[in-house]
Amino acid sequence: MAVAKSSFKKNKQKSVVLPYFYLLPAFLVMGVITFYPLIYQVIISFTNFESKHLLLGLQSPELEFIGLKNYLDIFTAALPVENFNFFRVLEFNFWWALSNVILHVPAGVLIATLLNTEGLWFKKLYRAAYILPVVVPPLVVATVWTNIFDERYGAMNQLLTSIGTYLGNTAPVYIRWFEDVKPPIPGFLPGAPLTLAYYAMMIANFWLGWPFMSVVATGALQSIPKDLYEAASIDGATGAQQFWGITVPLLRPAMIPAAVYGFTLSFNLFNFVFFMTGGGPARSTELLVTFAYNLVRNLRWYGVAAAFAVIIFGVALVVFLITNRITRATQNYQEA
Amino acid sequence: MSSVTYNNVIKSFGDVSVIKQLNFKVEDKEFLVLVGPSGCGKTTALRMLAGLEEITSGEIMIGDRVVNDVAPKDRDIAMVFQSYALYPHMSVYDNMAFGLKLRKTPKEEIKRRVNEAAEILDITHLLDRKPRQLSGGQRQRVAVGRAIVREPKVFLFDEPLSNLDAKLRVQMRAEISKLHQRLQTTFIYVTHDQTEAMTMASRIAVINKGLLQQLDTPQALYDRPNNLFVAGFIGSPSMNFFPGKMAVSGGKVTVDMDGFQVQIPEALAGPYKNMDGKRVVFGIRPENIHDPEFAPVNIHGEKVAAKVDVTELMGNETFLYLVNGKNTFIGRVDPRSSKRVGDDMQVIFDMDKFHIFDVDTEEAIR
Ligand SMILES: Nc1ncnc2c1ncn2[C@@H]1O[C@H](COP(=O)(O)OP(=O)(O)O)[C@@H](O)[C@H]1O
Ligand SMILES: [Mg+2]
Repeated sequence: MAVAKSSFKKNKQKSVVLPYFYLLPAFLVMGVITFYPLIYQVIISFTNFESKHLLLGLQSPELEFIGLKNYLDIFTAALPVENFNFFRVLEFNFWWALSNVILHVPAGVLIATLLNTEGLWFKKLYRAAYILPVVVPPLVVATVWTNIFDERYGAMNQLLTSIGTYLGNTAPVYIRWFEDVKPPIPGFLPGAPLTLAYYAMMIANFWLGWPFMSVVATGALQSIPKDLYEAASIDGATGAQQFWGITVPLLRPAMIPAAVYGFTLSFNLFNFVFFMTGGGPARSTELLVTFAYNLVRNLRWYGVAAAFAVIIFGVALVVFLITNRITRATQNYQEA
Repeated sequence: MSSVTYNNVIKSFGDVSVIKQLNFKVEDKEFLVLVGPSGCGKTTALRMLAGLEEITSGEIMIGDRVVNDVAPKDRDIAMVFQSYALYPHMSVYDNMAFGLKLRKTPKEEIKRRVNEAAEILDITHLLDRKPRQLSGGQRQRVAVGRAIVREPKVFLFDEPLSNLDAKLRVQMRAEISKLHQRLQTTFIYVTHDQTEAMTMASRIAVINKGLLQQLDTPQALYDRPNNLFVAGFIGSPSMNFFPGKMAVSGGKVTVDMDGFQVQIPEALAGPYKNMDGKRVVFGIRPENIHDPEFAPVNIHGEKVAAKVDVTELMGNETFLYLVNGKNTFIGRVDPRSSKRVGDDMQVIFDMDKFHIFDVDTEEAIR
């Protein structure tokens, strides 16, 4: 048994050399544009690299290797940055991605299911319409939503005002969506207060996020054979029972990878957060990526930023490994 | 157990009229086969009974109850789909138990019924598998099992064997027949395959272009087809048809075909005596055309000249593809026949077994 195994191994090794040869050019390119900066970054994460070192780089005479100090400073909130706590940002970041997916997926599935009703008019029109948010540039979306949540002239406060008027309250509503630091529901997420800015972003990102889920769900819905529903209706299933007994389980193989994708997308949703709240108020909506950007762009602490990026890389790796496992565990029912 | 009645049932999809009119009654415990060519409306007829398709006009009754407006689940029927329509995410057991669970059947009872059905269908060892892990034949059994556990009044089958290979199909044919005897329930079975219909049915309803052509026992359909369509559809190889003209002179009735003529035996000539000159279609089944060497003795045989075009040796019989002038026809003769391709011969038409149809109405004249 052992003999057979080793000879098999030898064969395999021989055949494995050639593909690497073909991959060599790609490896070289990646080495220059990916691995070199990556390694460089890891190195400067152990230094006190700042703007003044940019000219000479690692050759700068006064560049100091300070070991794990950058990392420790980040973890112990010892950086001279206001309102910064790494673990709070991390927690918020996870919650932000998770809460988005939790809303987008069911909404997408529900809307896709409703629009999939047989005999519905203008089906193609609705479907074309909900692609729209996916194709509008994020900067435009963020700008529009920032204006909607404007304290004085925004549509949201006007809407709330007219609802208030309808209910007999004539005072105009001036909610300070992006400035108010008091969480409307205290203790909702222990350790990381969810300010109004979070809810505003959730609303805006909902608009951006569900259509994609709906597109995926529509495709998956159309691949569910109609006769399954017919068989179920003869078996005695009501509409709701068909939805839970057939639609949901058969959408699962398509929706879980989509949800994982949506999670990673929200997890690193830089543009949106940056343009809408800038991470505020009081860093309550800061994501890991927006904070890293701040470290470089505004504070110019390259060493700290590098350490932070390495940490994000680690977090992303863990997220990737977990989600990848979830995706692969989701096999398609039809597959043999 | 229940009868099923179609009363003036009509169905159209928009402007397209699919079922022109259906009137028939399926008796309690009967095995009725709806047969007809593809697209004739068999599936539609069955789906209206199942409640999956609206009825445009007319009424369908299960037992004494008009079910036009009854939901599928309340019709007390079970259906086996052509595609089987097994729930891909459920095990075989759950597929079979699904309908019972929805009806809040007690767990123990579900278990008993599923196990019993699995026993009957010999799929007990598959109960934990998912449909994708089953072969076509096994899926088919599960689909039947799902119908059985419900213990419905009427079983509906829509071409359940058409996705199986030939051998398995023959085997399942016998099993479904056995199942019918065992369950003693009304079966309505749709197929385009006349062999399936002939071998399984207690009665056959032949449908063409949305109209019932004839409803009778397999043997009666075979022996006395009411019209040209049924005559041609039932039986394999099909009945031979020849355009012809009746000729009556001095009490003798003959049919003149292009190139030959045959005399109708005195005993059967009655209906044709006043039809001199009438254009007809003359029909005779291949097995009623004989090689003269092996023709049975006591028949009214008529000799017809023919040239052998193709032969098919089946072992237990031989098919001769024959030509006479513009007419081509098939004889199903004794395997000992020595006739081969190119031979000129005289075949014997057994004139006790002929059929005559009106050219215009296509109805049988007898
Ligand atoms: N939902 C539908 N809409 C329009 N036409 C249909 C529909 N279902 C069936 N038909 C038409 O009705 C005819 C009969 O169909 P069907 O009952 O499936 O035939 P069969 O089962 O005998 O092959 C076909 O011509 C088919 O194209
Ligand atoms: Mg059909």
